[in-house]
Amino acid sequence: MREQGAERQVQLPMIKAVKIAAKNIKVRWWRSLLVTSGIILALAFLMFILVSETLASNVMRLSKETLDTLSKRGTLGMLQDADRKTQTWWLVGLALLVSFVGILNAMLMSVTERFREIGTMKCLGALDSLVIKLFLIESVFQGCLGTSLGIAVGLALAYFEGVTIYGHETWGMIPPATVVRLVGISFLAGTLLTIAGALYPAWRAAKMQPVDAMRSEV
Amino acid sequence: MAEQTAQEIENQELLATHIVRAVKVRRTYYLGDEPLHALAGIDFSVRRGEYVSIMGPSGSGKTTLFNMIGGLDKPNEGQVFIDEVNIAALSSYELAWLRCHKIGYIFQTFNLIPVASALDNVMTPMLFAGMTQADAQEKAAGLLDKVGLGDRLFHKPVQMSGGQQQRVAVARALANDPAILLADEPTGNLDIKTGHRIIELLREINETERVTVVTATHDHKMLSVSDRIAWIRDGLVDRMQNRDELEIEEGRASVID
Repeated sequence: MREQGAERQVQLPMIKAVKIAAKNIKVRWWRSLLVTSGIILALAFLMFILVSETLASNVMRLSKETLDTLSKRGTLGMLQDADRKTQTWWLVGLALLVSFVGILNAMLMSVTERFREIGTMKCLGALDSLVIKLFLIESVFQGCLGTSLGIAVGLALAYFEGVTIYGHETWGMIPPATVVRLVGISFLAGTLLTIAGALYPAWRAAKMQPVDAMRSEV
Repeated sequence: MAEQTAQEIENQELLATHIVRAVKVRRTYYLGDEPLHALAGIDFSVRRGEYVSIMGPSGSGKTTLFNMIGGLDKPNEGQVFIDEVNIAALSSYELAWLRCHKIGYIFQTFNLIPVASALDNVMTPMLFAGMTQADAQEKAAGLLDKVGLGDRLFHKPVQMSGGQQQRVAVARALANDPAILLADEPTGNLDIKTGHRIIELLREINETERVTVVTATHDHKMLSVSDRIAWIRDGLVDRMQNRDELEIEEGRASVID
């Protein structure tokens, strides 16, 4: 009846980890929503700036009539202005930075808040790898969802703004390949940032001794 | 001498084994450059099935000792053996198994997941142990019933009193039928009456389930249920007492010398 000396904790199958992660998101519904909204806004902002600037630089693709109308309104000169172009690239840079920092901060905060919980999880027998897996699944989910919605919102807003300025030709101004490229890069950047922002603190907390993690005062 | 049955011999053998042993354990913290010797080469052991209380004032090292024997922290020097296995020699997988299956923890601050229901909280270690959702749910409900919270399965910690939260924590600690229950100041955040209830619950578990209970506390209410008391001072065991050496009077405890 002697118990065995030391056995190894078995890794949980991925499907179980996914279920636990889904449960974690569900019980934190409002907090998750807030974080995801942050990601949506960041990406919407980024996409909006990127697309509206790309539209502005593709103004020469418009038909002659539209260009004449713009010229008469005075808009064309403004769009072609070199100083304005420099300013907008700074704006794009700023948008990138705001998104980066915004997402990283949101994820870092939401995981750091749970340091005590991570310490407790380790007391209950969670492997370090499980802790990291759980946060990875959560952040992939939030990242993909938030980024996708944000990109959609940003695209929509930019195109609607475009229509008010350039009329119905807006839809053809940017070649599809470019749109795909912009969407792809934004999606990648948004999702990777979300994951990085969550994984770094999760990894740190998982590696701590449980006492230290549980001592966190957040 | 009367003959002993094989079972009696085995029982005696089990009682004679030490389920926890700390040997010359040192733990030093550094406050800036100043070393703080929380544990100064302490020796401590607990036999299977015992109810041992580690008592001492704040700063005596009892929580540090608790963390050592629970595998929650590593000593700077010395060894800690759980079931004669040196925990420093364990891989993180083996340590995780230990925490999952052999030890149940109870903390002063309950450490429940505040946003999850009582049932979810108790189920968590079972899921980590690989139980199915259905089995875990059933067992968790049973445990919560046992601690008197059968009607609050779906309540969240925020909807519960301190005593109820601690009872959820006790149920969670018992999730995977551990051999040892470790409680750090279990009554620290509770009023006297609720504290009594929790101590009574621990005593019951010790007696009926034969689970070894080790508590670190400065609550003198724990004295009457403990088999043995280790008084800690300045990181070392000041003295050990067995239950029969104590004379507990209303309001204070004194020692029969």
